[in-house]
Amino acid sequence: MGLAHYLARRVITFIPTLIGVLLITYIVAYAIPADPVRAWVGEKLLNREALEMVRKKYKFDAPWYEQFAFFVQQLLTGQLEDPIRYRNVFSEIFFRFGITVELALISFLFLVAIGIPLGIVAAMKKDSPVDFFVRIFALIGSSLPSFVLYYFLILILFVYYRTTSLAGIPLPSQTCTDFISSLPNQIPVLGYIVSAIGSVPMFGAAMCGEGGVVVETFRRLYLPALALALLSGGFIARIVRNSILDVMGSEFILYAKARGLSKLKIWGHALKNAMIPIVTVLGLNFGGLLSGAVIAENVFNIPGIGKYMYDAITRLNFPVIIASTFLVALIYLVVNFVVDIIYAVIDPRIRY
Amino acid sequence: MNIVYRALRILIKIYTDIRDRITPGWSQKNSSRIREWELMAYAFSKSKIGVLGGFMVFITVVLAIIGPIISWEPYWIYKTITDPKLMYLPPCLPPWCSGRPILGTDEWGRDIVAMSLYGFRISFVISIVVVFFGSVIGIVLGLVSGYKGGVVDEIIMRLTDIFMAFPSLILAIAFAAVLPSRIRGFLGENIWFRNILSTIFGLRPQEYPQLAALLSVWIAMVVVWWPGYTRIIRGTVLSVREHPFIEAAKLCGLSTWRILVKHILPNVLSPVIVMITFDMATATLFAASLSFLGLGPQEPVPELGYMISKAGRYFPERSLHVVAYLGLVLLFIALGWNLLGDALRDVLDPRTRRALEFREEKV
Amino acid sequence: MQSSGEKVVLNDGEVLRVEKLEVRFYTYAGVVHAVSNVSFYVREGETIALVGETGCGKTITTRAITKLIESPGRIESGIALFRRRNGQIVDLLKLDDEEIRKIRGDEIAYVFQDPSAALDPLYTVGYHFIETVKAHRNNVSKKNIIYLAIKLLREVAIPSPEVRVKNYPHELSGGMRQRSVIAISLSNMPKLLIADEPTTNLDVTIQAQILELLQELQKRYGMSMILITHNLGVVAETANRVYVMYAGKIVEEGNCETIFYNSAHPYTQLLLKAVPNPLKKIEKLESIPGTVPSLINPPPGCRFHPRCPFAMDICRKEEPPKIKLDDNHYVFCWLYTKR
Repeated sequence: MGLAHYLARRVITFIPTLIGVLLITYIVAYAIPADPVRAWVGEKLLNREALEMVRKKYKFDAPWYEQFAFFVQQLLTGQLEDPIRYRNVFSEIFFRFGITVELALISFLFLVAIGIPLGIVAAMKKDSPVDFFVRIFALIGSSLPSFVLYYFLILILFVYYRTTSLAGIPLPSQTCTDFISSLPNQIPVLGYIVSAIGSVPMFGAAMCGEGGVVVETFRRLYLPALALALLSGGFIARIVRNSILDVMGSEFILYAKARGLSKLKIWGHALKNAMIPIVTVLGLNFGGLLSGAVIAENVFNIPGIGKYMYDAITRLNFPVIIASTFLVALIYLVVNFVVDIIYAVIDPRIRY
Repeated sequence: MNIVYRALRILIKIYTDIRDRITPGWSQKNSSRIREWELMAYAFSKSKIGVLGGFMVFITVVLAIIGPIISWEPYWIYKTITDPKLMYLPPCLPPWCSGRPILGTDEWGRDIVAMSLYGFRISFVISIVVVFFGSVIGIVLGLVSGYKGGVVDEIIMRLTDIFMAFPSLILAIAFAAVLPSRIRGFLGENIWFRNILSTIFGLRPQEYPQLAALLSVWIAMVVVWWPGYTRIIRGTVLSVREHPFIEAAKLCGLSTWRILVKHILPNVLSPVIVMITFDMATATLFAASLSFLGLGPQEPVPELGYMISKAGRYFPERSLHVVAYLGLVLLFIALGWNLLGDALRDVLDPRTRRALEFREEKV
Repeated sequence: MQSSGEKVVLNDGEVLRVEKLEVRFYTYAGVVHAVSNVSFYVREGETIALVGETGCGKTITTRAITKLIESPGRIESGIALFRRRNGQIVDLLKLDDEEIRKIRGDEIAYVFQDPSAALDPLYTVGYHFIETVKAHRNNVSKKNIIYLAIKLLREVAIPSPEVRVKNYPHELSGGMRQRSVIAISLSNMPKLLIADEPTTNLDVTIQAQILELLQELQKRYGMSMILITHNLGVVAETANRVYVMYAGKIVEEGNCETIFYNSAHPYTQLLLKAVPNPLKKIEKLESIPGTVPSLINPPPGCRFHPRCPFAMDICRKEEPPKIKLDDNHYVFCWLYTKR
């Protein structure tokens, strides 16, 4: 009961946070001095009636609180419309978000594959050249301007050796997409979940058995994913190293040795205890990746959520800004929440 | 012994002398603290990473101060308008080639080394102001939140939650997109403020629309910067608060502010110093990223991130050298701060210091 | 000092004999001479106490016996003869990692100082038993180990042990955790139990309980015990013989009574005056002036001379020899040399 109670309480604290996020987004957007409607409609369509219609539709003639309430209501009912593309904001966001999820997952794989083994080796060989290398790798990774790294990776792996492409995103076939979006109608609850997972192009393709698309996705996204992982891989490795060393110096490890446990067992104790801080950092990192790598998506020309938000801001696309900020904030909260649950699974002391 | 240690000891000596001048007997009263500082100085001077980082930071700061003064080329002259051939000249290294800028030119035909000197100033000013205001706001809120608890704590934590739930770059982008036009109007009217800003940034007052952009980068970054500090400080305060000496201070009837400032703040200071040092690097890169995305100053301001993004359009055929050089400049600045922070983290940790004490007695 | 040519033997009735143990720590601040020329022995079924101020090398001495010294530290020299369960006599310091691992926790068990930190917080108490037994006897089934655990927990007076084996360390009180650690250490029926300040972090009432418990268990299982403490009250209650250590060296050894009534070394005398002596009536407690010297550059001669009220010239120059005052009573002090 304790855990469930705690989790329920946590979910309730989401609400004020999300309202706050919406309010701030709205205030920032509202403060834009230019006339957003004019920017949406475009110069060529400057006929008064059209302008007035759009203005009415988005309640720009009403006081700010009414406008805000209108946005929130539209947002929560999923009716918000992208005034530039004349499409439902959510269908666009889900599509973009699927691509960001692909990038985040691949990047996270690289990150774990780089960070954790390096950290473990550095901890095992403390103060050795390997350890020093990890330290320098971490420091350079966090000192490198990301866009410069992207440029040079593109130069080497795209311009010199064409190992990747920088245009388009591999998508599953139309029949496959139709099949997946029809799932909720066929299977009651599970259908929605499967369909949501399938809306990530890579997963959708995998469900339809279109392996080629999955391979293509890796080919298309491995470079930005690798670049992102290189930037924080060293940092993760340092965290892994430090937390392992912290645990290795603790009394219960010494007692484990005094009880005559084998080396393997002792490392088991050390790793499991070190997982707690590592999970936090990895969780935060994954949350960051999911909220869209704005610069990487811009440089590598990936139509993910980060690029979408960036475009929306530069074009004063209100509804998109609000909806996508809402989504990203929600992701941040959910990731934190999941990290907490993982804690409770690893650590018996945490019983709220 | 070594030079770094000697230099740091001289600095400590100067500081204690000044304090002694103000309040006689200060150094006697604080002799153990001074000894602690000397130990830290010694531990620091033994760290190769720290000395290298300190040296790089020193160069960064010096270049940031004198850069715009010694720069040999005005940034506001578009040479390529009269002579298009000057655009993106390749590097020209002395023994093999002469008469042209050593590391080549940018798209306006300006010497990129001269331009980067302005860039040092701009990025230093942005990062130090952001980190200063961000940390001060964050520390105050964190102290209050951690010490007061209850409703105040709840409100402050919800607020930090809200700001942390935003992706920081996106929030900064939004602010940077919204603010400049407002600030521009303000700067257009207040000439004195415009003059102060232009002196700080090493730019001409005529560039006030760009100054407005820089100012909005400041504000945008401060807005996203403080929650990190609030979180950390609050956490530390919560653990410090449990110590008996705080209880004792309360029983002595000390006021809340006195306890916060005199007893809790010193205990959270060393993690804050380390964090500030690391954040100087992060802020430098963050500001460069914002202007890389086109949300900082525009022409003709030679901001490092903006110049790289412009050169990116001709990358790699014509502008490889510009991206490489300016990228190295940013790397140099950020790496200096990060190396320094990494060493400070070791030095400010009492455990490593204590191991050193024995050696000191022998010397 | 004599050369190591002389042969060290384990006499009948002795479990452990340590000769000329030397442990140094190679920190980058310098070499710490943590334990110098320490010799002692333990008989079967006997309790010896290592007494001294914090940082005098008691803990390191006992850890060195099973090579539990971590990386900046190194065992320089010495012999530690141990009679194994099968009667075989081995020099513990010459065993390789795997052989010493087999002895640790099985024939020589430890109870560490801080009971709250000795158990891995992520595992149940029962799991610690399983691990400890399985590390030495892999063929015992988990079920049997849990039976054993419940029996041992009951013996250390933990209420409802059937429930407690399934508890995590944080669900137990400090006293219960300490008792669980004792029970875990006993799970392989060791020949020698090393108890490092077993009562320091506990309430006074629980301290007494734990000590009684240790004595009782010792008798029941015929164990030998090394008790490390700076609490002389504990010594008086439990130990047969006492070794007093100062700054990494043994300064005096003798029977418990001898040490309390006829102590010879000035340090022991001062130490006794500094604590409420359970066997003697003292009007006033005194403190020993000065502090334990840095072990990086230990003072030449007798290490106690900077604080010794009777220090003579020779004390500052030469190390004091081992002097026999009585059966089982030895002191390292120049005051007792005959010219």
